[in-house]
Amino acid sequence: MDDLLNPNEQNLIIEDALRSYPMATMPKGVSELVLARIRTEPAPRFQFTRNDYVLAVVLSLVLGAMLFAFQSLPPHALIQIRIQGILLWQSFLVNYRWLVPLTSIMFGASLAVFAFFQLLRPQRFEQ
Amino acid sequence: MDNEQILIQRAQKGDHTAFAALVDEHQRYVYNLAFRVVKDENEALDLTQETFVRAWTALPNFRGNSQFRTWLYRIVTNLCYNRLPTLRRSLADLGDDVLPDIPEPENAPTNPAREFESNETRTYLHHAINGLDANYKLLISLRYQDELSYDEIASLLNLPLGTVKTGLFRAKERLRIALANYHAEEQWTIS
Repeated sequence: MDDLLNPNEQNLIIEDALRSYPMATMPKGVSELVLARIRTEPAPRFQFTRNDYVLAVVLSLVLGAMLFAFQSLPPHALIQIRIQGILLWQSFLVNYRWLVPLTSIMFGASLAVFAFFQLLRPQRFEQ
Repeated sequence: MDNEQILIQRAQKGDHTAFAALVDEHQRYVYNLAFRVVKDENEALDLTQETFVRAWTALPNFRGNSQFRTWLYRIVTNLCYNRLPTLRRSLADLGDDVLPDIPEPENAPTNPAREFESNETRTYLHHAINGLDANYKLLISLRYQDELSYDEIASLLNLPLGTVKTGLFRAKERLRIALANYHAEEQWTIS
């Protein structure tokens, strides 16, 4: 009997069997069970993910290490840093004073654009 | 905007009724996919519930970049991966060394040999599909029952396109062996 079937016919039979492979019989009451669960678990408005926690730990460690390194510097080095800082700040005030209002305006404009697009989006979970 | 998108937007606003309609629409496919992989009714039911609960909590993150059902399939597949730790590995191990041109007839042939294909043969092959490994059944369900394209399956399972094609090709090869065995048995019975 096998001899009667060439590879193409076998393919057709297999394709037919795959396409007619029945769906599993669905138990009843799944919707009710799901709804009962989501009613007891309201969708959170905001959720921390695992990445958020990892990022928080890494940032804390970096900040802690920086603070520790800064505290451990000798007084002479601290004074030098402070002097250099003052000189840099004065240089900035003399040469790039215009950057302060420009940055403020650009920051404000960005926030306005962001707020505008947020208002266009649908509100979520106002339960 | 179609009806499903409206339901999704309402569900995103916290409308339980809209979400219930989405569950009603998609539960059959989600359950079927889970059942074909885990082979246990209770586990499949549990996975189906878990899928929809996760979908509900993650609904704010659904941006509509993919179809809602594809998004659900992604969730249930990830849950299946958690339930069957070897599944992800067995899919990846399929490799993509075989890149066959899979024939896909659109219509039933009018060839008289088609008469040969009895209901018994089809039922036998359905049993053979049931007996395939979970990775093959996952691919078959996504391709033939959920009617996803190869690209969609590859994207959903995060697999190379070649691996998806290879997996389906190998599944068909196993079915071809099963079919040959079936015919050999029939021949033996007749003789």
